[in-house]
Amino acid sequence: MAGIKILEGKYIATMDIYPQQAKEFNRIYPFYEFLKQGRFTTTQCKDCNHQAFPPRVVCPNCLSENLEWVDLPIKGTVKVVTEEEVGVPLGFETPLIHALIDLRGKLTLFTRIVNCKVGQLKEGDEVELRVFPVDPVPIQIGKDFILNERVFYAFEPVKKQ
Amino acid sequence: MRNVCIIAGGMSQWGVRDAALRDMFQEAGKVCFDDNKAVTNKDIDGLIVASAYTERCSFQTHLAPQVAENLGIKPRSICVRVELLCASGSSGIILGYGLIRSGVADVVMVAGGEKLYLPQKWEIFYSEMASVDHDWDGAQGLGLPPPAFAMVAKQHMKQYGTKKEHLALVSVKNRRNGMNNPKGQFREPITLETAMTAKPIVPPLTLYDCCPITDGCSAVILACEEKAKYLTDKPLIYIKGTGQATLSSMSANMPNWTTWEALKIAGKKAYSDAGVGPQDIDVAQTHDCFTISEIIEYEDLGFCEKGEGGPFIEAGKTDFGGQIPVNTDGGLLSCGHPFGGTGIRQGIEIMKQLQGRAVKQVEGAEIGLTHNLSGFIAAHTILIYGRQP
Repeated sequence: MAGIKILEGKYIATMDIYPQQAKEFNRIYPFYEFLKQGRFTTTQCKDCNHQAFPPRVVCPNCLSENLEWVDLPIKGTVKVVTEEEVGVPLGFETPLIHALIDLRGKLTLFTRIVNCKVGQLKEGDEVELRVFPVDPVPIQIGKDFILNERVFYAFEPVKKQ
Repeated sequence: MRNVCIIAGGMSQWGVRDAALRDMFQEAGKVCFDDNKAVTNKDIDGLIVASAYTERCSFQTHLAPQVAENLGIKPRSICVRVELLCASGSSGIILGYGLIRSGVADVVMVAGGEKLYLPQKWEIFYSEMASVDHDWDGAQGLGLPPPAFAMVAKQHMKQYGTKKEHLALVSVKNRRNGMNNPKGQFREPITLETAMTAKPIVPPLTLYDCCPITDGCSAVILACEEKAKYLTDKPLIYIKGTGQATLSSMSANMPNWTTWEALKIAGKKAYSDAGVGPQDIDVAQTHDCFTISEIIEYEDLGFCEKGEGGPFIEAGKTDFGGQIPVNTDGGLLSCGHPFGGTGIRQGIEIMKQLQGRAVKQVEGAEIGLTHNLSGFIAAHTILIYGRQP
């Protein structure tokens, strides 16, 4: 942290672009456990069957707390592509590619696309889930610090056979 | 239920400022009080402060008492900060209106603004990720999201044949109208050619399709009709109707990318409150954070048919002399966009238009409308003002 001695070497949660994923800090931590297994999941209400995304703690339809984890498709079809050339947020690089993708009719997701060149991705192309590690978070337990390993996700073009 | 009037308004200089947030609130407050010498800081019983990034950029919460102290205001009915990002200012006006209407307060100042430029300029390009769902959209690299609006523009162009030229016409009109606001960030018109050949940000959006990052504050004073009668010598301007709606927050839950359902819901409520329809609006300030936004706003506010936003501006219908002049003092594209200050700036321009004292006047304007969208086009906020209650 430039010039502020007390902050040197410290992890600053307020500057963290990724979600907290440890069970101590996020009740929907299973989403990230499932990501590590290559699964894309969300919660579904056992009382009214409503499926919400992102995963929830309370059903937004009937307010039940009786939720279960279900799998979403990990492959989808591209509907629209955007490629940002200038002014990307810190921590990301140009060109920053996003796409609106249709996950087999189950969910329409606006997501980052990785492993893709500018101009490569077109409407109708297939993409699939890509999970990757991101910076771990030091978590204080008593006087000890443990490192919570984290992942995040994007989608990448399916290699044409 | 009492009638509520807007009786004064003013803004600080907007742009890249050599000033702190607290400095600009003082500047805006002073200009607001100078706008109407009949009302002083001793007459204010309520203060609502609208600022989205005070905590992040100025490391300051509990902002309202600080603004009160800085402006010599001693509130006794309400003293609070509100936040809805780009719609914070309009939200403050709606809340002030509700409190006065119901008798909880009599004379309320609504002041709003932001300090976004910090000594480490990279910080705002990082902090902006707080403006969308942090865990689910921010982590995908969406900041103050040009990609989302590029997505909207691409779909609108495909669905309705909207052209790049239509987008550029919005920039040209608003940069020209920006000459009508001496406090705005940009005070120089641009040509259609400049707009069409500018640097791409996220295609099809180029430099002039996007509003800038801005420091600045603004303030208005609302009063119950009874006090307004002796606290102003200008025509009384009433808040006639309000609406604020949201249907989604995270990007995956947007019901429709090219028709903004929540805008229509907020509009329906505001029009119904006011007892008017889109055809009765004489002048409007809508949320032109990006050029495509203004085009869709023409449609979903009911000024023109769905899909016809491009041809509507092409035919000059939203410029002075046209059917419904929109963004008469430059909009976000020209004045800039210090989030909490924007809805208030729009209210000031509408007040002046309806009082017949705008810098460039829409002849005979009697009913005006302001609109803001906020977040991932997630919420829409609308106010309707008029010369009759």
